[in-house]
Amino acid sequence: MSLEKIVEGESEVDEKDFLQQLKAADEKLGFMREIVEPEENGNGELNGVPVVLKDAICVENVTTSAGSNIIEDYSPVFDATVVERLKDAGAKIYGKTNQDEFGFGTFSTNCAFQTPKNPHDETRVVGGSSGGAGAIVAAMDSPIISIGESTGGSITNPASYNGVVGLTPTYGRVSRYGLISYANSLDKIGVLSKNVYGAAKGLEVIAGEDGKDQTTVDKKVPEFSDLEKTENLKIGIPKQYENLEGIEEGVRENFEESLETLEGLGAEIERVDMPLLSADYSVAAYYVLAMSEASTNLAKFSGMRYGMEKDPEEFDGYNEYFSAVRTEGFGEEAKRRVLLGTYTRMAGYRDEYYIKAAEVRQKIINQFKDAFEEYDVLVAPSMPNIAPKIDEAESMKPSEVYAMDTLTVGPNLAGVPMISVPNGKSEGMPTGLHIIGDHFDEETILDLAYTYEEKRGESQ
Amino acid sequence: MSDETEVMIGLETHVQLDTDTKLLCGCENEQDSDPNTNVCPTCLGHPGAKPRLNEKVIEEALKLAEALDCDVNEDVFFSRKTYFYPDMSKNFQTTQFELPVAENGNFEISLEDQDIDIGIKRIHIEEDPAKLDHVGGDISNSDYTLVDYNRAGTPLLEIVTKPDFTSPQEAREYLQQLERVLEYLEIYFSDTEFSIKSDANVSIDGGNRVEVKNITGTKEVEKALSFEISRQKQMTARGGEVEQETRSFNSDMGSTTSMRKKETEEDYGYIFEPDLTRQELDEERKSAASEKVPELPRQKFSRFKEEYGIADKLIESLISVPAMADDFENLAEEHEPELVASWMTGELKKTLNYNEVSYEESGVKTEWIEYVLELLEEDKISDRNAEQLLRDLVEEPRGPEEIVEQEDLLKAEDDEVDQVVEQVIEDNPDAVEDYNSGEEGAINFLVGQVMRQSGGKADPNTAREKILDRLEG
Repeated sequence: MSLEKIVEGESEVDEKDFLQQLKAADEKLGFMREIVEPEENGNGELNGVPVVLKDAICVENVTTSAGSNIIEDYSPVFDATVVERLKDAGAKIYGKTNQDEFGFGTFSTNCAFQTPKNPHDETRVVGGSSGGAGAIVAAMDSPIISIGESTGGSITNPASYNGVVGLTPTYGRVSRYGLISYANSLDKIGVLSKNVYGAAKGLEVIAGEDGKDQTTVDKKVPEFSDLEKTENLKIGIPKQYENLEGIEEGVRENFEESLETLEGLGAEIERVDMPLLSADYSVAAYYVLAMSEASTNLAKFSGMRYGMEKDPEEFDGYNEYFSAVRTEGFGEEAKRRVLLGTYTRMAGYRDEYYIKAAEVRQKIINQFKDAFEEYDVLVAPSMPNIAPKIDEAESMKPSEVYAMDTLTVGPNLAGVPMISVPNGKSEGMPTGLHIIGDHFDEETILDLAYTYEEKRGESQ
Repeated sequence: MSDETEVMIGLETHVQLDTDTKLLCGCENEQDSDPNTNVCPTCLGHPGAKPRLNEKVIEEALKLAEALDCDVNEDVFFSRKTYFYPDMSKNFQTTQFELPVAENGNFEISLEDQDIDIGIKRIHIEEDPAKLDHVGGDISNSDYTLVDYNRAGTPLLEIVTKPDFTSPQEAREYLQQLERVLEYLEIYFSDTEFSIKSDANVSIDGGNRVEVKNITGTKEVEKALSFEISRQKQMTARGGEVEQETRSFNSDMGSTTSMRKKETEEDYGYIFEPDLTRQELDEERKSAASEKVPELPRQKFSRFKEEYGIADKLIESLISVPAMADDFENLAEEHEPELVASWMTGELKKTLNYNEVSYEESGVKTEWIEYVLELLEEDKISDRNAEQLLRDLVEEPRGPEEIVEQEDLLKAEDDEVDQVVEQVIEDNPDAVEDYNSGEEGAINFLVGQVMRQSGGKADPNTAREKILDRLEG
């Protein structure tokens, strides 16, 4: 059964059957935060298509905790704009997927409720922060549209680790209304699916201007799922990515094979120097900005309106009260980011950190703009490694974990669209090819990913 | 204590704007409704909700910027000011930090025939937090506190002056004249639930600066500052030093009390508000806003003085009610300006104030006022009855012809007066006797009698003439 067939009404998903399979797979792998029985929705192009959403995306009357204990029982009174659009299109919503708390993580090991296991190897992580969203696509036989969210690479990463397609659109293409914010200037809602068509179709439905999110852009949404074979593109490889230390051998081999495939499609491939994409600049700038914004977003979880409640009588004052709530409610990584993010925007440090990071970000954007003057797309390995073992991941130092994001934070800072497609296996685990496009040029990366996917399919 | 104490005062004034909807969401901007009824996920700060800017607020800020002669910044963006307080659902306030919408302005006020320039440092836009209702007391001793989010998101304009005031009177005058400008711009109205609040920075003789918070309205500032200045003077007179601190003004006590001592500047960890896009204010938008700025009170004052030549006091009174000033101008085309102004600002205004109703809302029509003026000009009504007529028009609005008819307010016809005079002379032989024996004051008694018997319809001068004619003749 393919998604295309369901969309075209040629085959149907049996709800009961699907629900049963979902529960069974979740029992084993723990990728769902909450499973719900789908409601009858509108009639549209996604009639009967199974959809799940990252826990941070609000669904009316469905627990939405963003992976955090502090809002364990939060039940939104409204649907996120993407949820509204999916429902209107007739999609069947089956629930929410596990994630790192508020998106703070690379492996979904920072989830307050459960650490999901990788369907390819249960001892390994699913990636993060949209980890459950990636794992479910790989774990289920039936096609599914899984809505994820990326701030610094949280769609590409689980797509790569689980061997599925992950599409992160241009910032401003998809409304963030109803997304529990991590870092608002970086957050992008996107799609994970089994193939490029699923990602394209999903984006087509959720994209477009929204009066409830001022950062959405008034641009016509192309028919992304009308995929076309594309050849003879001019492709750039950022040197700083190709030469990154720590790229595993198997990942490197698969990437080189991908380049050959692309050359077979008539691509002209060149190396391009993008100095600011090195970890020293991009990872630092990303974490400073993301943590600064995150620390303000998390301020509302203080036990006043949101966050767990305690008995105020037990405390000397408001400061003691909310400090106790936050100490207990937030996980370790969330507390780390609140502390660091508060520090980087304090008077006296603000110019050195927050403002400087914003300047670096602007320069990174300029570097991408320059590159896209020359090249149609940029490519790189999606992640430097295969999914690590859960215990390995849990024993890594925060700085080691942050370095894992080197390949993804650059394009995420620039707000350009990107797609990760499976490009082989290493030690039995999937790896991904990352295709990065210019602002609002999702069509080109989708068409290339589709062409690559077809070509690779033929050769297997 | 000498009078030469050098006083420096600067004001930070928050004006609640009377817009239809709130600053960052579509909720009705209405505070007086039942608590927590004008709320939505955005102004309650629900996780997942996002703000969207009410563009009308920018326009209103631009109007004020023009009126206060400020430079407008082309780039408009907002910041998050983070602090934890129970009145903020998000624990950050959306405000402007690096770049206010406008800065470097000037506002000329007049006090006792002197013109004083007050420098305007900046005007910025921000949201009001929710309202805290301390039940059973004030913040320090209440039983518990309720939060009303109707106010959360009300648009505010903060106007920060340079420390250019040298007395509490100047500060009060500034606020009152600022309030009038805001009303002229139609962005704030003093007779609504919206309010103006100020914080004042005060120092004497170059000493430490004290911030006085919580000054509501436009008149209290004088009381608050007078108290604070004499407190500082007494402190130094006793050989003490004024500490740098934040104090709160208690209106009931008329005094200021310490809130927090000389602490370091609070750190709000400002970041750009990433949910609201930056926008550029192009010339088109700026000029569209400035076209909406009407003639302002000070210009109107000068023009009225020149054009109509009426007393300053009358002009002051007229321009304090923009609609009345407009109607005055229409009426003054056909009628004697002095007459129009004195009747509008006299009995009419007095009655409006007494009944606590605004000129616009009273339902009094310009034609009605014109009708009264015509009766006066044609000498058909006595001043006393004209006053009565105006009172009736305010208290029970209806056509003045009807009132005049029903209450028989017009002056009596000549022969009617003749009859009354005849009668009065007949009925008061003693007074006639007195007059004839040279006691001229007796005439006043007789005039009074005529007035009384005619029910006010007789004109006193006519009555006097007729009595004299009758007695002399």
